[in-house]
Amino acid sequence: MLLVSVAVFLITESSPGNVARNVLGAFVTPEQEASFLAQIGLDKPVYTRYLYWLFGSDWHASRKVGLSLKRITTDAGFEEWWAVREDGALVRWKLRGEDLIAIVRFPDGSTNEYDNNERWREDKGGKSTFWGVDTQNHIVKWEKGGGRKVWTFVMGTGWMESTGGPAEYIPLKRGFIRGDPGVSLRTGRPVSKSIFLRLRNSLVLAGTAFVIVMPLALFLGMLAGLKEGSTRDRVLSVGGMMFSVTPEFATGIFLILIMAMWLGLVPGATVFGEKAPWERPDMLILPVLTLTLIELGYVLRITRASMVEVMKSPYIRTAYLKGLPYWRIVFKHAVRNALMAPITVIMLHVNWLMGGIVVVEVVFGYPGLGKYLLDSALFKDINALEAGAMILVTIAVLTQLVADIAYTFLNPRIRYT
Amino acid sequence: MVSSGATTTEEIGIDTRRERTSRVWQALSVLFASKIAMIGLTIVLFWVFVAIFAPYLTPYGPLDQDWKAPNQGPSTAHIFGTDELGRDLWSRLIHGARIVLVIMPISERLWIPGGTAVWGVFVALLIGTTLGLLGGFWGGWIDEVVMRLLDAMMAVPIILLYMIIMAALGASALNVVIAITIVGTPGIARLVRSLTLDIRTREYIRAAETRGENSWYIMFVEILPNARGPIIVDAMLRVGYAIFAMGTLGFLGLGIPPPSPDWGSMVAKGREFILAGSPWAALWPSVAIASLVVGLNLLADGLREESMRYQ
Repeated sequence: MLLVSVAVFLITESSPGNVARNVLGAFVTPEQEASFLAQIGLDKPVYTRYLYWLFGSDWHASRKVGLSLKRITTDAGFEEWWAVREDGALVRWKLRGEDLIAIVRFPDGSTNEYDNNERWREDKGGKSTFWGVDTQNHIVKWEKGGGRKVWTFVMGTGWMESTGGPAEYIPLKRGFIRGDPGVSLRTGRPVSKSIFLRLRNSLVLAGTAFVIVMPLALFLGMLAGLKEGSTRDRVLSVGGMMFSVTPEFATGIFLILIMAMWLGLVPGATVFGEKAPWERPDMLILPVLTLTLIELGYVLRITRASMVEVMKSPYIRTAYLKGLPYWRIVFKHAVRNALMAPITVIMLHVNWLMGGIVVVEVVFGYPGLGKYLLDSALFKDINALEAGAMILVTIAVLTQLVADIAYTFLNPRIRYT
Repeated sequence: MVSSGATTTEEIGIDTRRERTSRVWQALSVLFASKIAMIGLTIVLFWVFVAIFAPYLTPYGPLDQDWKAPNQGPSTAHIFGTDELGRDLWSRLIHGARIVLVIMPISERLWIPGGTAVWGVFVALLIGTTLGLLGGFWGGWIDEVVMRLLDAMMAVPIILLYMIIMAALGASALNVVIAITIVGTPGIARLVRSLTLDIRTREYIRAAETRGENSWYIMFVEILPNARGPIIVDAMLRVGYAIFAMGTLGFLGLGIPPPSPDWGSMVAKGREFILAGSPWAALWPSVAIASLVVGLNLLADGLREESMRYQ
């Protein structure tokens, strides 16, 4: 798990593409680009970035400032970091000319500014420096008389050029394992917020499909496996194979053409706006149907294979010879044993299911986690991509663990020592 | 007894030759016996034919635009219609098949023979087989390390692997091959490893060891040829997966970049015009990719089923 997290991080971080170009447009100057990269913390060495990303940067930052840090949510819904002054008030700083200005925030949300020049510290080189929290959720190191030019990019407005900027930035975040993977560079909003909405939407989609697929596929698979080589078996298994190997986007396109264009029954795309998916169930029909068809074929074939094997086994023949009624043999003897393999294999199939979900979300414009991840990947929005990737990997590993446990539970012959 | 020695060897020679031809014949008859495999073979051969002779089957180039006739349905001039830039869909379709099956574009001008999907599977086979053989034959810590790494790779959702790899490498045909290789290798390595573990215990391996052959010889001359059957069937299925993956990557915008006639990206572009009333640009490439993948699977399935019945 740790290894995978390192791998995910390294691959995404080492990508040659340039997120600065994507955010800022193609006409940035190298100085602007460097300034931007410094502000989002991308100028740090890889291991520092990894640690900040995983465990957060606030503990390290608060040691530099010498005050503890606190994250608050303002009335407007923004997340802001403040330092806690010795007397318990929240405080941030900014630089005006050579003067350090402290901003104090009162519990009712109003602020007050005052000169705070006594906080300058002399470093070894004789320069006056100060580590503090700035107004954009960084820990920054100001140098007195540094006169450094910085460009701040404000999402939606554009560039702000200012002089006397900080020499060093550390963006504040709590870190992935504490539930805060940082701010999305694409949307400028905290990743954790959007990702949970998207995850919920995806789970609705996958869950609905799962609930429909499982009973149907197990039932059809058993039906097909009862008599190997019969017409029913051939039709079901070849049909299932065709559905399961057709790429999801092709199935989706066919369904849109048939159901939405030709028959005009249901909408061919999903537009939810601010609504939750379950408020517009008609828009869920096609995505769920597409996922269902893909998964149906796969589960059906596994169930069939397992059923065929069981029906050939000696204890079924014994049951026949005992003169038990046919349906009783099927339900009491065959089905129980035949369901063991599919259930665990299906859990292992979650990896594939995720691929299906990503594609289906893109086909129908469904606002799920998969689409979010894809957009982030195309944009090289590393904060969002890494967080989403880690969530997917976690889900995959967890289901595999559950599958292993379920298997030992269902099949007592297997023991892990 | 001594005089009959020569004739016996000669007879054995004839026998093996006859056996070989009859084995080829058997394989073919297995193929012909299965209706499903024949349907699959027909579909696959159709696409291979169309892909090879693509430039001779259409008067239009895949990139020729006709600004006067965008988003049209099938007509006598364009039998499958045109896309949003007025490019002939039939031409783009068969040139798309060419990229999948026959050529791999490396840059605008340069291409090498062997389809992109085919190359992906081929490279994955090379690496996977080597890793599997090494792990299965030598065992020990090499096996342990290699298999743990591959396990970790298999635990990552495939789509994520594709997305991260393509996001890291950027979109081009070569990178699609790399992505397909990375994703395909663990499965092949596992298959070859299990086959190797089985074959390693056979007596002819013991014999080769006693002869003093080195382990590379045993791995590649003794074990590999005896494991080829399952590997070939697996490779056939994997070409299907690779085409599937290429389509998906193209559809997600991670595949071979436009204006190259890649099926997946054709669907992605055509999708935007479905609800505007011109479904053809999305429909045809979907049909193409679905039929090719289904054809390959039918072929592999039929073969496996028939050969099992044969045994």
